[in-house]
Amino acid sequence: MSITVLGANHRTAPLEVRERFAHTAGEVSQSLERVLAAGARGGVLLSTCNRTEFYLAEPDDAVPEAVWARLSERLGVGGGGGRSASEYGYIQRDRDAVRHLYRVSAGLDSMILGEAQIQGQVREAWDVSKAVAGPVLHRLFQSALLVGARVRSETGLATGAASAPSAAVAVAGKIFTQLAGRSALILGAGDIAELAATCLVSEGVRVTLVANRTYERAKAIAEELGARALTLDEAWDHFGDCDIVLSSTAAPHAVVTWDRVAPAIERRGGRPLCILDLAVPRDVEPAVAQLENVFLYDLDDLQAVAAHAAAERRNDIPAAERIVTEEVERFWGWYGGLAVVPVLREFRDRMEAVRAAELERTLRRLPHLRPEDRDQIEYFSQALLNKFLHQPTVALKEAARAGRGYGLLDALKRLFGLERRDGT
Amino acid sequence: MVLTSHLAALGLYALATVLVLAPFAGLRPLPRGLLLGVLIAGIAAHALGVARLTPFMGVAPTLSLLALFLALLQVASEAAFRASAVGVFTGPLATGLIGLALLIGLAPDVRPVVGRSPWSILHITVSILGLAMLALAFIAAALYLLQFRELKAKRFGQVFRLFPPLERLDQLNHLSLVVGFPTVTLGVLLGFGVRYAGGVSVDAAQVVWGMLMWLVLGWAVGVRVVRRWAGRRAAFASIASFAAVLLVYLALKLTTPGTQRFL
Repeated sequence: MSITVLGANHRTAPLEVRERFAHTAGEVSQSLERVLAAGARGGVLLSTCNRTEFYLAEPDDAVPEAVWARLSERLGVGGGGGRSASEYGYIQRDRDAVRHLYRVSAGLDSMILGEAQIQGQVREAWDVSKAVAGPVLHRLFQSALLVGARVRSETGLATGAASAPSAAVAVAGKIFTQLAGRSALILGAGDIAELAATCLVSEGVRVTLVANRTYERAKAIAEELGARALTLDEAWDHFGDCDIVLSSTAAPHAVVTWDRVAPAIERRGGRPLCILDLAVPRDVEPAVAQLENVFLYDLDDLQAVAAHAAAERRNDIPAAERIVTEEVERFWGWYGGLAVVPVLREFRDRMEAVRAAELERTLRRLPHLRPEDRDQIEYFSQALLNKFLHQPTVALKEAARAGRGYGLLDALKRLFGLERRDGT
Repeated sequence: MVLTSHLAALGLYALATVLVLAPFAGLRPLPRGLLLGVLIAGIAAHALGVARLTPFMGVAPTLSLLALFLALLQVASEAAFRASAVGVFTGPLATGLIGLALLIGLAPDVRPVVGRSPWSILHITVSILGLAMLALAFIAAALYLLQFRELKAKRFGQVFRLFPPLERLDQLNHLSLVVGFPTVTLGVLLGFGVRYAGGVSVDAAQVVWGMLMWLVLGWAVGVRVVRRWAGRRAAFASIASFAAVLLVYLALKLTTPGTQRFL
């Protein structure tokens, strides 16, 4: 019995390689089928933008090659610069594989330490692969989700906003009671603004207006977000009625100036306005922050929020690792117990067969014995076998409970030639 | 019994204050339920002690009652506004007031006959509740200004993390004033009733202070509701109102002899 994980992540593979490895939900079953066909009793494929990992139960020796071959196919000609997928990947087995998944689920292995999104991705991977996961991986993924939840509730690993877009949400959340239903104006069409807008929308913010230097580009994004498109010059007046402004134009100088927006902002009364300037160079003139109830944050500010949260999260790594270790031992205890039962049964059956054969041979040589004497000899052989088997059985069960049963099981199999597959 | 209940409340309020302040010292915030549990246990002990306070007049019982209302308002703020940070002020204030009441001595009042009038007790209770609401408006305003300053200065430390959003603090300030004003109005009307219908003599200082509190609170509500002040301006108005009420009380108290009488 064994559990293995093979894959690549943000530490071992660059983005362009990870993009090629990434599977859509529809591609998962096909890849898993091919890998399982090489010989494994269950599999789950976890594929996100930062990692693609095959979790396999009891894989045969040919399986790693099948995984790397499958991933290499996705690299295509020149995709990995002529390199095989295995050069970007890693393999971890047994306890290390379990620990790896638990760390992934807890956010300890994420690019942004403690990020919560991975928990949902682990759940989704398990859901998509359920048909071929098998009982061991079912239990493993179920426990991984519990470990993730435990780490998040018992440590501060998931507290604070540890990325710039989530920091934007955190900052806006310290101004407004709730973000749901707030209106946002997006200036420009930069990628970061779009990412931050997505974060805000996920909190219930309504993007009502999108303004850009070129109207057509504004219109394209506005249609995606269900908003109205404007040119930049039309946008200044709307600083008076929206709650959040997200700016990320490609302008080489500040476009949001005091002169342009102060009259509109003064009409707001006491209502706060949160301006998130995500452009480099900055879009918003610093003087705008002097206006009453205007809260202006640029990319450096948001990164400071994120860095602060990340530093605090790092303090919680030891506590999170302790939980992971504790849970790995718990899982391994269960898994070890699972392996011991069939091997012990096989061992006892084998010994019983030897005993029965030897007894029969002995009794054939002693035909003069009375039936009650024959019964005594049979009773003696049975008692002797039980005495012999008692200590190894107890030792194996105890070792399995403590998660140390594998060495003994292996020795037992080799010494007594127990070749039957575990779990059958 | 009165002393034991007050001492138990003092201990529990002090513990609740430590629990509220601990995250500001960099310690991990404890579960919200634990903080509320300690505070509610303190309120229960305190209410038991206050219920047995007879004749229920004088400085010490008044301070004790004010502390009880502040603790109750802290629980209400936490439950309705998730504003645990209110405890940064109400915690030490309630603990300090109850400690002061114990130091002054929760002894019977100098005018026991007056103290036994149920209308008089109702007048005092409602007026102190109004004062507690004004104190809560002040606290929400102070928290607002602190958070405002941190957000404007782009400091993302403990205040940023642990204080509620600006808008929520503004709403808490608004609600405290809007509920506090009718409460004080009722307290003042009951005071007039006690004086003119009940025939109880009331000192001029009490009338001056009661009317001042009503006028000041009325002004604070007026600028918020009629003139639609919000945010920083409304926060300054609340702080000025509370400061005026407190300073006038201290001035009147200094000119009134004796430590036992409220005014």
